[in-house]
Amino acid sequence: MQVSSMHFKRQASANLGNEKLQHALEKLQTKFVDGRAAAIAELPNFEELRSAAVEIRDRTLHRLDAYLVRFEQAASARGAVVHWAESAADVNRLVVEIARQHGVRKAIKSKSMVTEECALNDYLTNNGVEVLETDLGEYILQLAQEPPSHIVAPVVHKSKEDIADLFEKKHGRVRTTQIAALCREAREVLRPGFLAADLGISGANFIVAETGSVLIVTNEGNGRLTTTLPRVHIAITGIEKVVPTLEDATTLLRLLPRSATGQSITNYVSILTGVKGPNESDGPEHFHIILLDNGRSRLLGSELQAMLRCIRCGACMNHCPVYQNIGGHAYGWVYPGPMGSVLTPNFVGLENALDLPNASTFCGECAVVCPVKIPLPDLMRHLRRRQFERRLRSWPERVALRSWSWLAQRPRLYAIGTRIIARVLRIFAGGKNNLRFIPGLSAWTKDRNMPAPAGRTFRDLYRSRHRQ
Amino acid sequence: MSARENILTRIGNACASSAAVDIEKLIRSRQRGPIPPMEDDLTKRFSAQALRLASDVERAATLREVPGVIAAYLRVHRLLMQGVCWPALASYDWRNAGLDVQARAACADDMLGITGAFLGIAETGTLMLLSGALTPATVSLLPETHIAVLEKQRIVASMEDAWQQLRAEHGELPRAVNFISGPSRTADIEQTVTLGAHGPYRVLIIIVDG
Amino acid sequence: MPSSAKDLRVGLFVTCLVDLMRPCIGFATLKLLRAAGCAVVVPANQTCCGQPGYNSGDVPAAKALALKFLQEFDGCDYIVAPSGSCAGMIRVHYAALFKDDPAFTDNYRRLTEHVYELTDFLVNIVKLEDMPGDFSGTLTYHDSCSGLRELNVQAQPRALLARMPGVTLIEMREPATCCGFGGTFSIKFGDISARMADKKCQHIVETGAVGIVAGDLGCLLNIEGRLRRRGDWQTKVWHIAEVLAAGDDLCK
Repeated sequence: MQVSSMHFKRQASANLGNEKLQHALEKLQTKFVDGRAAAIAELPNFEELRSAAVEIRDRTLHRLDAYLVRFEQAASARGAVVHWAESAADVNRLVVEIARQHGVRKAIKSKSMVTEECALNDYLTNNGVEVLETDLGEYILQLAQEPPSHIVAPVVHKSKEDIADLFEKKHGRVRTTQIAALCREAREVLRPGFLAADLGISGANFIVAETGSVLIVTNEGNGRLTTTLPRVHIAITGIEKVVPTLEDATTLLRLLPRSATGQSITNYVSILTGVKGPNESDGPEHFHIILLDNGRSRLLGSELQAMLRCIRCGACMNHCPVYQNIGGHAYGWVYPGPMGSVLTPNFVGLENALDLPNASTFCGECAVVCPVKIPLPDLMRHLRRRQFERRLRSWPERVALRSWSWLAQRPRLYAIGTRIIARVLRIFAGGKNNLRFIPGLSAWTKDRNMPAPAGRTFRDLYRSRHRQ
Repeated sequence: MSARENILTRIGNACASSAAVDIEKLIRSRQRGPIPPMEDDLTKRFSAQALRLASDVERAATLREVPGVIAAYLRVHRLLMQGVCWPALASYDWRNAGLDVQARAACADDMLGITGAFLGIAETGTLMLLSGALTPATVSLLPETHIAVLEKQRIVASMEDAWQQLRAEHGELPRAVNFISGPSRTADIEQTVTLGAHGPYRVLIIIVDG
Repeated sequence: MPSSAKDLRVGLFVTCLVDLMRPCIGFATLKLLRAAGCAVVVPANQTCCGQPGYNSGDVPAAKALALKFLQEFDGCDYIVAPSGSCAGMIRVHYAALFKDDPAFTDNYRRLTEHVYELTDFLVNIVKLEDMPGDFSGTLTYHDSCSGLRELNVQAQPRALLARMPGVTLIEMREPATCCGFGGTFSIKFGDISARMADKKCQHIVETGAVGIVAGDLGCLLNIEGRLRRRGDWQTKVWHIAEVLAAGDDLCK
């Protein structure tokens, strides 16, 4: 996916003025935030589950190499072929190689954020493999040639009218804005695609070291179709997705859908192990699993390691007041919201995503709702520190910060400085006690007044009162 | 150096301090996480949860009654009395109930698929199906109506119990374990839940007492 | 640790924002602490807790100001600030800031564990029952983020308001959603910040309350600034200390 994270501010501002998007975001907020709250209220041992989930993720990350090798052994023993990819380019090359090896012309895909990291669809198309997205949201995006704006609800930024227009244009059928009818239309258009494909491409929500299995959760059933009908299946996933046992996967499954959409369980949970048996009528004959690093191993052992616990539920963005106001596209890459503000700089470079770690009020709600307790504000703060240390922040900002701390360490000078500021601003404010403009603070005063200082500092008043 | 070696080396260096953990022992311990508390009557729990997730639930006293229950359900919902079932269910007397059911994997045009279930999970009202030569996965997936026959004594409390049972009865995992919790659905358009996405539009679970 | 409030030596951390913008809040805090019987000390050289540097990645600056703070308040039984944000910075974040740094002695660690947000201190430590202030009217309360999520300040301010016979509290929608201030965020991302403030203002106005109260001046400046720009000059904006200690003597 094209990275546009360096244009965060411009993109965010544009989205603030997009009324349709604002309406869609409000709806997302009520559905997902309220849905999660209701689902969690039903679980008396939710906090215990969270702690158990953290323990599982940390225990696995602690010996990630051993668990990956264990997974590889178990998967291979069942006839799957495990590939390792260092980068997005590796993934793309591997998928095309596998497609050629098996004489594949047509591929279908179920939703996978990892393949969005790789921009796999474009690469496949350019290399003669026709590819069709089958998750309804991803299919709509493929028609519209747009990137997803949410990791769980990829097409949250579109209204049913937008989709009706798109379907009418692309399908040539009678336009309908009825949601159920739009869903049926997509089902009817996509069914032949499922039946004609020789290759199914999926992601994985977890991979299980014990059994060599790939675990996929879906609601639409497209994940099941993608991994059942075509004769070749490629599952592509990040190396951090490994869990030791089926029991561990189960604990995480109690948290994932509840945190994501407020469901107690997704409609389908499929655990796929190996290729189809000699007498089986369905299932792939060839099963390839690609394990992608793409910067993940760099996080291991660093201050940002906790980010590798992430199970991609999207709760952090659903609850983020910044995301709620600007939507996912503003973040400029695959992963929006707080999790993206930590991940994107790691993937695309700190200097190519300067705004992201700063685009948080540190309100802390993301960490509160994270099912695996990732301290997202602390991680963003750490990235701010790296930016500052690498002198990636602008010089006025650095000068302002340094001047403030220089002054604040000199109480006498500080007292004089603040005395002057309090007086001057008070005078400029006039009778209404409000300033409409302050030089150097136009970012504040553009849409807000600044309440005026009282005129004398606490320190001065306190001293004069105590003299009396 | 291959990508595999590069990745494993990087990870190994990052977690160098922790080489001594015996992961095989940890895996074999199969430690369970916290399981949500639930009532003792698993059938009741299962039914209530399945209904919540938009499955339909019917009861039958014996396996022999199943074709009749299915026929009645299809009539009420004005659905075709024709479809496919798992080869494992070939011996049911479908014809006597007025049903035209073929025992085979499903094709795209089949409107009704009848399956058994390895287990039911009471916690979430979920069906657990195993793929196999006699239990093809397509039957619960391609048709618009999926009907599953679940024996009451095959309802367990949690997914953890299901794993234990699976290991005891089968040793290893089949190609596909599918947990099914109601009809397929999507909320991708305006976060509005719509039943019937790419899989079935309706799921009927028949709980058999005897 | 002394057992009765009367024996407590409590350091008042005014905070830089209150010192500069609304000293009234500092005097209100003083009045409340004295009403609870505390012996209050106000270190004269106090300035800033170091939060701006800490949250902007300037670790050396944050550490320098943190050490300055710790030295000035050393010897206090408790330290109280009319701000969840500053109290959270000291109580929660100093330990992280000084991770593995010997300058952060055990003594300092204990000191930071005794830093309290004002309402938390009044309810849970000195258990103040009778508010010294005289106030009547309808209010709505905004939960400031750091106090709420770092220090668990949620029930305390509401409990204190409930002890004032003249106060009627009307809860707004989403009282715990961030107002958009976020320190430097409010300047770095002015338009996003203002939009968040605008939604907060909407929720406040919907309650019909005479005034909005909160425990952090940063939020209050943001909210008042947006209210006034929206043309709302009616809705009053108060720090909770100003309400709990309300009286003619406060801001002279």
